[in-house]
Amino acid sequence: MKGIGKALARTPFAVTSKIGMSKKSVDPEFDDYHRHFTSLEQAAEKLIKDTKAFSEGVTSLFTAGAGFATHFSVIFQPIAGEFDLIGKHPDASHTILNVTKYETAMQELRELIGPELELIDTRIAGPAKELQSVMKLIRKTITKRDHKLTDYDRFNNSLTKLRDKKEKSLSDEKNLFKLEQDFEIATSEYEYINNALKQDFPRFMMLATQFIDPLFNSFFYMQLNIYYLLLEKMNSFADESKFDVSNAPGAQIAADYESKRSDAWSIIENLGIIKRIVSVCKSLSRLVQQTRAQNSQTGLGRQPSTATSVASGSSLRASAPPSRSVSSGGYKKAPPPPPSNSLQAAPPPPYTPSFSGGSTASASAAAATKRAPPPPPPLKPKPKPAPQIKYVVALYDFAAQADGDLTFNAGDRIELVEKTQSTEDWWTGRLNGAQGVFPGKCSLLFQCI
Amino acid sequence: MSWAGFKKSVNRAGTTLLQKTGQIERTVDREFTEEEAKYRIKAYWDAMRAMTSAQSRIAETLETFYGAADRSSEGAMAGHAYKRSVDDMDTTFTRELDVPFRTTISEPLGKMCAYFPVVNEHIAKRNKKLLDYDSARNKLRKLIDKPSEDPTKLPRAQQEHDECKEMFDMLNDQLIAELPQLLDLRVPYFDPSFEAMIRMQAKFAEEGYEKLSGVQRYFADNVRDDYAAGQLDAQVEGILQEMRELSICGGN
Repeated sequence: MKGIGKALARTPFAVTSKIGMSKKSVDPEFDDYHRHFTSLEQAAEKLIKDTKAFSEGVTSLFTAGAGFATHFSVIFQPIAGEFDLIGKHPDASHTILNVTKYETAMQELRELIGPELELIDTRIAGPAKELQSVMKLIRKTITKRDHKLTDYDRFNNSLTKLRDKKEKSLSDEKNLFKLEQDFEIATSEYEYINNALKQDFPRFMMLATQFIDPLFNSFFYMQLNIYYLLLEKMNSFADESKFDVSNAPGAQIAADYESKRSDAWSIIENLGIIKRIVSVCKSLSRLVQQTRAQNSQTGLGRQPSTATSVASGSSLRASAPPSRSVSSGGYKKAPPPPPSNSLQAAPPPPYTPSFSGGSTASASAAAATKRAPPPPPPLKPKPKPAPQIKYVVALYDFAAQADGDLTFNAGDRIELVEKTQSTEDWWTGRLNGAQGVFPGKCSLLFQCI
Repeated sequence: MSWAGFKKSVNRAGTTLLQKTGQIERTVDREFTEEEAKYRIKAYWDAMRAMTSAQSRIAETLETFYGAADRSSEGAMAGHAYKRSVDDMDTTFTRELDVPFRTTISEPLGKMCAYFPVVNEHIAKRNKKLLDYDSARNKLRKLIDKPSEDPTKLPRAQQEHDECKEMFDMLNDQLIAELPQLLDLRVPYFDPSFEAMIRMQAKFAEEGYEKLSGVQRYFADNVRDDYAAGQLDAQVEGILQEMRELSICGGN
C-alpha cells in the first residue's frame, strides 16, 4: 500500500520530467557503473544460455554419434536371408568387420560423457545462476535508488518553484517549510543509497572478474576432457581396427573418399526401379524397338493378332531387364556395362525399306514402310472423307529413337494422322508442326479424346 | 505412402512378390535404417556445429567479464587466448570439414534415402497392375466359359488380358531382378563413407584437443592441480559469498 502511494506521488513528476518541464539530476559516475553492471547482467545471462547450449551440443553429439553408429552398423549387417557379406564384398570387409566395434565404442563414449556433463551443470551452470541471483538483488537496489532519485528531483523542483514565487500566501509559507523538510529527507535517502552503490560497484566488478577466473578454468578443463575422451576413444578404436586417422586436411579425406568410391554408385543409378515410373514407357518403347527389329529381320509383317502380342510379351519378359545380372563382388574391377549402354550398343533397328510383304496390306506394314524414306509430307494423305480430326493424349514422355519418330512429352495433345486397329503398330501423329510415328504399342498409354 | 499404408497395400495386392523373394519387407527395413542413419548423422553434425559455436560465444562472454574490471590480468590473457583457439576451431570446422562431410556422408545417405520412395512407387505400381491383370484374367475366363453373342468381345478381352499381363510381368520382373541388387549394392556404396566418418571424427577430436590444450600455457601453474582437487569450485563459492555480503545485495 505504501509502495502504491509512493508510486502515485512520483507519477506526475515522471511525466513532467519526461516532457522536459522539470529538471532531472544525473550522476555520471553512477551511470558509468550502471552501464557496466548492465552488461555484466547480460553476460551472466548469456553465459548460462551458452553453457546450456554447449552441454546440449555435447549431449546430442554423443547421442547422435551412438545412434548413427548403431544404424550404420545395421546397414553392414546381413539382411535376413543374406549370407557371407564379406565373401561377396571383399573390398568392404574392413568396414563390415569393424562397424560393430565402432558401435560399441560410440556407446561407451556416450556413457563416459555423462559425468562430464554433470560437472558442467553443477560446477559451471550452477554458480552462474547463483551469480545471476546475486545480480538480481543488486538490480533491486538500483531500482530503489532510481525511485529515491525521482523523489529527490520532485521535491527539489517543487521547492525551487515555490521559492521563486514572488508573492507567497500563508499556506505557501507553510508548504515551503514542509517541502524543505521532505527535500532534506529525500536528499539524504538518495545520497545514502547512491553512495552505497558507488562504493560497492567497483568491489563487485572486481569480484565478478575473480569469479570468472576459476569458473573459466574449470570449464576449460571440462571441455578439454570432453575432447580428450573423444580423441582417446577414436584413437583406440582406430588402432584396434587399423584405420589411419592421422590428422589430414578435410579436402584430403574427401579426395580419398572419392578414390575409394566404387562404381556401385553408377550401377545403382542405372537401376530401373530407382527411376520414376515415366521410365516404364521408355523401356516399353525400347522393347518395341527390339521387337520391331526382330520383325524386320524376319521380314514378317506383324499381324495385329493376339498371338503376336503374346509373343512379344514373352520376348519382353526374356529381355526386359537386359543384361543386368551383375556379378556381385567385382564392382570395382569389372564394371559391367550399364544397361543403358548395352541398349545403345545394340544395333539401331535396321529398317530396311523392303516392300517384301507387299501382299500384307496390314496397316502395320504400311507404317513400317513409311519409316524407310524420310516421310513425305502427307498433308493430304488420303482423300478420306473424314475431315474430323482425332487427337490422342500422351500419358508418358516419348523420345524419338530413329528418324521419323515423333518426340513428345506426357500431356501433349497429338493430332492423329493415321492409326491402326492394333496397338502393336506404330501410329502416325502430328505435334507442333512435326509429323512422325510413335509406338501404338503404348496403347495403354494413350487415350482417345 | 505411409508406413502402414505401404504394408497394407502389399498385403492386399497379394504377396507373390513377397513370397518369391521376401524383398519387400527387407526394403522397408532398409529404408527405415537408412532414414534413421541420415537423421542421426545430421543431428551429429549439427551438434558439432552447436558445440563449436557455443564455445565461441562463451569465450566472448568471458571477455565481457574480464572487461568489467581488469583487462590486463592473467585471467584476461588466458581468456583471450581461449577465444582465439575456439574461434579457430569453429572456423576450421566449418571451413575444412563442412564440404567433405557433405560429400562423404550426408549426400550418399540422402541419395540412398531418396531412392526408396521411388522403389516403393514401383512396388505400388506393380501391385496395381497385378489387380488389373487379375481382373482382366477373370473377364477373359468368364468369356471363355460363357461366350458372348458379340464375336468381337473375346479377342478384345484377350488383348486386354495380354496387355495387362505384359505390363505386370515387366514391372514384376524388374523388381525381382533389381531389388536384390539394390540391397546388395548398399555395401560397396556405403563402404567408403565409414572410413571418412572415422577420419573426420578423429580429426574433430584431435584438433579440438590440440587447439584447446595450447591455452593452458596462459594459466598459472597451480590451476591444473587446483581444478583436479576441486579448489576452483571452492574459490567460486567463496567469491559468491563475498558478493552476497556486499551492502548493495542486502536489499537496503
